[in-house]
Amino acid sequence: MSERERHSVDDERRRVLRTLVLGGLAATPLARAFGEGASGGSGGGGVPAPAAGAGSAAAGSGSGASPSVRAPVVARAHRAGVLSEGSAPDPRKLAAAVGSAVARAGGEDTPVAALRRLFRPNDVVGIKVNCIAGRGLAPHPDLVGRLTGWLQEAGVPARNIIIWDRTDRELAGAGYTVTRGGDGVRVIGTNDAYETTPREWGPTGSCFAKLLVEDLTALINVGVLKDHDLAGVSLGLKNWYGAINNPNKCHDDGAAPYIPHLAASPLIREKLRLTVIDGLRGQCHGGPGRSPRWSWPYEGVLASTDPVAIESVGYREIEDRRRAVGLKSLAEEKRAPRWIETAAKLGLGESDLRRIRLEDV
Amino acid sequence: MTPENDGPGRREFLAALAASGCAACLAATGWSPALAEDTADAGSLVPTGDAGLVATPARWWKKKDGLKVECGLCPRRCVVADIERGMCGVRENRGGDYVTLVHSRPCSMHLDPVEKKPFFHVLPGTPSLSLAAAGCNFECRFCQNWEIAQARPEQVKSVALPPEAVAAIARRNNAPTIACTYTEPVVWSEYVYDIAAAGRKAGLRTLMVSNGYIEEEPLRDLCTVLGAVKIDLKAFTGKFYKETCHGEMKPVLETLKRLKKHGMWTEIVVLIVPTLNDDPGEIREMSRFVHGELGPEVPIHFTRFHPSFRLMNLPSTPVPTIDRAVETARAAGLQFVYAGNVPGHPAESTWCPGCNRRLIHRVGLAVLENRITGGRCPDCRRKIPGIWA
Repeated sequence: MSERERHSVDDERRRVLRTLVLGGLAATPLARAFGEGASGGSGGGGVPAPAAGAGSAAAGSGSGASPSVRAPVVARAHRAGVLSEGSAPDPRKLAAAVGSAVARAGGEDTPVAALRRLFRPNDVVGIKVNCIAGRGLAPHPDLVGRLTGWLQEAGVPARNIIIWDRTDRELAGAGYTVTRGGDGVRVIGTNDAYETTPREWGPTGSCFAKLLVEDLTALINVGVLKDHDLAGVSLGLKNWYGAINNPNKCHDDGAAPYIPHLAASPLIREKLRLTVIDGLRGQCHGGPGRSPRWSWPYEGVLASTDPVAIESVGYREIEDRRRAVGLKSLAEEKRAPRWIETAAKLGLGESDLRRIRLEDV
Repeated sequence: MTPENDGPGRREFLAALAASGCAACLAATGWSPALAEDTADAGSLVPTGDAGLVATPARWWKKKDGLKVECGLCPRRCVVADIERGMCGVRENRGGDYVTLVHSRPCSMHLDPVEKKPFFHVLPGTPSLSLAAAGCNFECRFCQNWEIAQARPEQVKSVALPPEAVAAIARRNNAPTIACTYTEPVVWSEYVYDIAAAGRKAGLRTLMVSNGYIEEEPLRDLCTVLGAVKIDLKAFTGKFYKETCHGEMKPVLETLKRLKKHGMWTEIVVLIVPTLNDDPGEIREMSRFVHGELGPEVPIHFTRFHPSFRLMNLPSTPVPTIDRAVETARAAGLQFVYAGNVPGHPAESTWCPGCNRRLIHRVGLAVLENRITGGRCPDCRRKIPGIWA
């Protein structure tokens, strides 16, 4: 083994250990997060819906958490007025929201320091965005632009940063300019560039995007805060449907058998370093397509290195909003995202809100 | 002469393979070079891409609350939200209207022997213009054509080819039939229907090669224009359908009964997969169902599995397993039982149930001799069911 290789292995070991610490070693049922007597029952297939306001303050090292393991952090950054109706995000407020969330998620004081901690200069970083719903319910290009800028400041060359989604058309429809060449940040749709043989990933098999398989060494998942008619919510984990050729085959049973197993596939699990949820506007019903009636100015950003913890928090935010506007809970509509708990059981992260440190920044 | 002791000589076998263009080995994907000229007007086969998707209003669906729609094409009855697609991946909700993305966009077209479908009782020895558009409402782990059947339309190469052009190509190539095949025609039923209607006007029959996972209404509509249907009966257990095909068995059995009710000429194919659906008891039950519900004269083909797609860990089906399935079906009273993907097997040929003489001598996909005359056995004059002229 060369000196350089050994260094890389040591780096990797440190990274794994740090992830374990940040992510929490224990995966406990989502049900416990909401308490035994939580309102809403278990109409969605056994997962209790969150009680009103449950966990709205940082859970800290609340009851049930192992004292020897730090709870995973989900950073929540609200900035009033960050997104006025019909206008682009306020640059200063946007930078403050995204920057503070990413910094806290990475355990540093600044987003650049956090990203330097999470990524190596020789990484090829894929930023997976979710553009299917188009402008207004896709990650804002300005937000993603902040991430690419900080990544470069953290030492990742621009040519090693790729904003990526299923197709050029969907990227363009969400306001991104497709850019395949040059030395700058690239913006690439998979289009038809999938593997030529399928690989198994649990309940089914798929051809993954060649970009993910062959080029990307690290991932940032940038999802949105929205309802999904079948899966319950579409935040970060469901965004990985955009990495495979056959997402249409993966919606049975509330997508429950599929979403966590896809996220657990080594191609994703071993590369994912950070999840960011663009919640400048959220949508609590009528998804996954855009439905202005149910859209609301959440004016916030979530960020975490724990892809399950951020899902639990985002789910709760949507349930809170649904309750506020008089909608039935997702559990009552029998579409609670049971798969969040499955994701925890697969060891992808923490689903129990009591074991998650929700930090407002 | 009995079916069991009649095998072709080596020379005869090789000649037959050559005659059939070794069609069994041909991929179902892509385009026959021989047809390139015919489709020149439509442009060359190009990646459909996202921009190449053309939306055509779908049939057989209804509006639901909000912008949702409910697809009524197959028993899955997908409820599809705005911007989403059904499980087939080719039907999309656009603002509360349901569209198909594969009408007039075939991704594969070949001139095959009709025996390749396989239809053994439909105009034997004739070519069939065979085409496919992308998509399927099953997800069989052994899918032979998964590159197009399990793909979304923007992931395959295709050309723009309206139904009338398909019929014209068949006519130019002296094909008396058009076969909608390779993928799952149910999911492109609008195109199938329009092809069949155009084919009828041109004096052609249209054949559908399907898994039979279709609702009653679209099936009824299709039966008004189709000439014959071949159903892939995947197995005779719900477990196999669920675990291996991501589907259900009961609706397929309903389809078979409905096809009989509609008077549609139907043949059945069963791909025998080692250890998964090759139990003699299961074959017996299946054969009893066919005999009891559809009649003893429905042709049934037991074909060999070869590893493919997501089922690569099983061997090809041993020929004795096929032999056993054939014998079991015959013992159950079925009169036209065939072996498939076993070139040179005596059960590739058609034998008269009356006098047990060979009527159609097949090797591979080639018809070496067809003695059926006026739809009857020339020896005992027994009527042989099928479409012979």
